[in-house]
Amino acid sequence: MSNKVDPNLMKELKEFGLTDAYKCYHCGNCTAVCPLSTPENQFPRKFVRYMQLGQKEKILSSPEPWLCYYCGTCSDVCPRGAEPGETMMVARRWLTSQYDWTGFARKFYTSERFEIIAITIVAILVGIGLLIFNTGKPNWDHAHLNSVWPSDKIELADLGMAAILSFLLLSNVFRCYKFVMGDMAGRIPLRVYASQLKELIVHVLTQKRFGQCEDKMQWFVHLMIMTGYSSVFLLVVVLINGLTFENLKFQRDLPEYALWHPIRLVGYYATFAIMYGTTYAIIGRLRKSKSVYKYSHPTDWMFLILLQLTTMTGIFIHFTRLLDWPFPTYALYVIHMMVAVPMLVLEVPFAKWAHLAYRPFVLFLLKVKEQYAKEQAAVRVPSVALAD
Amino acid sequence: MEKKLAVYICSGCGLGEALDIEKLSGVATKECKAAICRSHPNLCGEEGVKLIRDDIASEGVDRMVIGACSPRVMYDVFNFEGCVVERANLREQVVWAQEPGHEDTQMMAEDYLRMHAVKADRSEVPVPYQPEQEMSKDILVVGGGVSGMTAALEAAEAGYAVTLVEKEKELGGFQKYVSMKATFPYKDIQPNTVNQLIERVSKNDKIKVMTGAKVEKIEGGPCVFNVTVKQNGTTSDHHIGAVVMAAGWQPYDPTKLDPVLGYGKSPDVITNVQFEQKFQSGPIVRPSDGQPVKNAAFLQCAGQRDPDHLPYCSSVCCFTALKQAIQIKRQNADANVYVFYKELRTPGQGEDFYRKAQQEGVVFLRCQAPEVITGGSRLAVEGHDELLGEKVTVEDLDLVVLATGMVPVAAFGEDFKVKAPGEEEKKQDEMQMTPDTILVSDILNLQYRQGPEMPALRYGFPDSHYICFPYESRRTGIYAAGPVRRPMGIAASIEDGMGAAMKAIQCVELTSKGQAVHPRAGDMSYPEFFMQRCTQCKRCTEECPFGAINEDEKGNPLPQPTRCRRCSICMGSCPERIISFKNYSVGMIGDMIKSIEVPEEYDEKPRILVLACENDAYPALDMIGLRRMTYNAWVRVIQLRCLGSLNLVWIADALSKGIDGILLLGCQHGEDYQCHFIRGSELANIRLSKVKETLDRLVLESDRVRFETVSIMDWNTLPALLNEFADRLNEVGPNPYKGY
Repeated sequence: MSNKVDPNLMKELKEFGLTDAYKCYHCGNCTAVCPLSTPENQFPRKFVRYMQLGQKEKILSSPEPWLCYYCGTCSDVCPRGAEPGETMMVARRWLTSQYDWTGFARKFYTSERFEIIAITIVAILVGIGLLIFNTGKPNWDHAHLNSVWPSDKIELADLGMAAILSFLLLSNVFRCYKFVMGDMAGRIPLRVYASQLKELIVHVLTQKRFGQCEDKMQWFVHLMIMTGYSSVFLLVVVLINGLTFENLKFQRDLPEYALWHPIRLVGYYATFAIMYGTTYAIIGRLRKSKSVYKYSHPTDWMFLILLQLTTMTGIFIHFTRLLDWPFPTYALYVIHMMVAVPMLVLEVPFAKWAHLAYRPFVLFLLKVKEQYAKEQAAVRVPSVALAD
Repeated sequence: MEKKLAVYICSGCGLGEALDIEKLSGVATKECKAAICRSHPNLCGEEGVKLIRDDIASEGVDRMVIGACSPRVMYDVFNFEGCVVERANLREQVVWAQEPGHEDTQMMAEDYLRMHAVKADRSEVPVPYQPEQEMSKDILVVGGGVSGMTAALEAAEAGYAVTLVEKEKELGGFQKYVSMKATFPYKDIQPNTVNQLIERVSKNDKIKVMTGAKVEKIEGGPCVFNVTVKQNGTTSDHHIGAVVMAAGWQPYDPTKLDPVLGYGKSPDVITNVQFEQKFQSGPIVRPSDGQPVKNAAFLQCAGQRDPDHLPYCSSVCCFTALKQAIQIKRQNADANVYVFYKELRTPGQGEDFYRKAQQEGVVFLRCQAPEVITGGSRLAVEGHDELLGEKVTVEDLDLVVLATGMVPVAAFGEDFKVKAPGEEEKKQDEMQMTPDTILVSDILNLQYRQGPEMPALRYGFPDSHYICFPYESRRTGIYAAGPVRRPMGIAASIEDGMGAAMKAIQCVELTSKGQAVHPRAGDMSYPEFFMQRCTQCKRCTEECPFGAINEDEKGNPLPQPTRCRRCSICMGSCPERIISFKNYSVGMIGDMIKSIEVPEEYDEKPRILVLACENDAYPALDMIGLRRMTYNAWVRVIQLRCLGSLNLVWIADALSKGIDGILLLGCQHGEDYQCHFIRGSELANIRLSKVKETLDRLVLESDRVRFETVSIMDWNTLPALLNEFADRLNEVGPNPYKGY
């Protein structure tokens, strides 16, 4: 079977931010230095070749870009300035748009205008929604969020949003599964999937693979953002109503929990971790301080800005609430939601946020594939021995 | 005038400490019969040189031996016009390479004085050769392409009258067909400027341009070339000093290509040369129907680097493909252009040109054997992409361009040797000289005994040793330039034209003073033939690597001294020993050998004669001293112009004198020869194979004579080689002729 060369892929990838991959002459220095490249999954060199020759099928079924955390070492050693690290980043954007069946992701990545307009529309809708749907009896004496937007109602809204998000994300994840597994989809027994689950969880929690990269700072920053984000998600979405436990409720009104209360401590940790991580990344991107920050796609900026804005408005609400200023608290809450909701609704299924699903999932699938291959080989060897 | 020999011994550089200078002086005056013998602690200094000059002026010294450093250094200081100067190498090859103060070291120094004294005694000061015909410094350039025109312009601007002969109706060569060029600084394609070069050549009044003309005949030698040029049916004679041959190249015949490349099966499969010719002025279109080209593929190395076609790399096709690919991209930025290559070769700054093509979006596929598929409605190329590790196909092609290579025009024509009449059959088992390849390509039509054109080095390219001697050729005064010499592009052709012009100028300047050209530049001696004793054996005329000797009908040699490079290979070849130079002859070297003092057998001091080539082996021996390594003390070295000047009688001389072993140190011969005179060491080896049989017959062990090839880099292995040879001689035992 001959592979058709498709020169249009490179042109298409340019829209996703590809700049220098044409310079690659396949010396393999990048693959040699990459701590995550293994004999089974060699990258980035071969992957760049797939791109140059327009091998879409191969790119979809061998999703090495998800193995890469963009430490930038490959770009540093590239003798041609072909930026293999950035090329993998572009590949992730393209893959995200391929997994997404709605076509939104492609629009998001290829049009900055579309991205801004979409976010603005959702923000305005959220703002209007909050102004229309409330109790109508705000407490003007005390900052009492529950008096305007009760947590059980918010929880309902959260559930609705979660359902939509999950549907979008999971349907895309399923497409991703189809692409990655190819004709192996359905052939591998569930047992193998289950055996690799532990690995998946450990990886998600510790970002172990990222830790293998040479630049430990990147791993640390990423871990901060990831854990900060996850814990605050846990607090404000899952525990908004405390899952009916009064003491687990995310605190929206006075009286405040004591300082040592786990909910409060986790909240402070999350705030610090996100602010630290995003500030580090924003300064890095502004200064282009290392390879990983040299190229900034509009979606990269949007990701950081929305996250930081959400956190900052959250911090302000916390203070106005403690100071017991009702109006600023309510106003800030509206703004806070106008930033946070678009971030979740649009970025999670369609843009950079989506990697939180794809990366661990693809990693998991590859582990499954490897394990299955190992088992198959183990089965085959004795039969060969018998044949001899 | 009476001969008056003086010996000067330097005691500087450690000579005074390592040697007994007084004893040496005794040898000089008593044994060598030197009229004057002086020593000085700094002979090469002002005072030392004055000492010698005063002796020349007031004492009438006309020949001298300078016992000091190697003849390879201070040759400008010890240069006394009208005097025979012999240099005994007491520094590098004696005191620096032997144990200081040892009896054997002293004996070695004394022997060198004896040897050079006897040579000084027999030498004469060379008289520059003056031919009967008046000498011309005009330069003939054959070929009016970029190399030829550059050579003509460079020579003309240096003040030499130039005749430029071009076979086509107008100047320009292949570049006339080319619209864009790829050259320095290789950042982008550039418009061709050949017309400006043509204009400069046409306007230069020192250059006589003859278009539609060809060289019918070239007779004579440097400065006395008589050239007949035929133009428009009339012939004219020209008196020429030196020739630049820039006859150019022809594309490889694409009909001979492997059919899988699709040539001839579709009009849309063309060669790189046809690309230039078809789209020289006008858009790049599909040849079959004139539609615009949207997809194009370039297939590199079509019939190149392939033993069945051209075994070599033409070095320009990668540039050409990149250039043409960029041209297509310029015409239509959306066009898809693919380059299938084995190895992309863009040496030096050319790498930037490759980057440029990458930037333009050209897709490169590393593929050893691509196949053009012509069956469908449109062309396709299929091949194994080595970087992907899989088979790939490129479809819907409008144009496929095959990179065929450059063939020098000198590679066309029948082999001259094959049809040469009167060649006797030689014995099969005998070692023979590798024959020269001279093809009757009708470019120069030389009236030389060895053939009408330049000998080819490889693949029909008339080159000399390309690494050591760029622009040199094996026909003195004729210099090949441009793609006829080796495949090259426009940048190298311009450089080549300049280089060849410089060589031609050097040649006419040196020859007009009676001096030799490279590598013995400045040498005024030349071979003289004692014709009464010639037996018409033709060895000299056959073996001269430069074709310097013609022949009359009876087989008598007709030497052309201005063609001579003074290697003395003829002198070594002559069984009658009738060829000699004023300062180098069979007799002189023989006498040097005979003057070596050979101790009696019971002294246990054997003697080893080393005959060393002056170009590599001798400097390598100097290097041993320079690095203060030691070698065998029995060794006595004689420097030869070329090992090819080895005359077998020297072996007999040495053995009958009682010398125990003879080591010949020459350059590597064969395909990757390093001999400055191409054939010298090879011929010496052949001659030696003959003497070995004789030795065996005389019950003299043939192990006593050995031939070794050394390059200047081998100095560090030489001491071991010499010691090992001495050990072998010890096993063989002393020469039975000792004391006779």
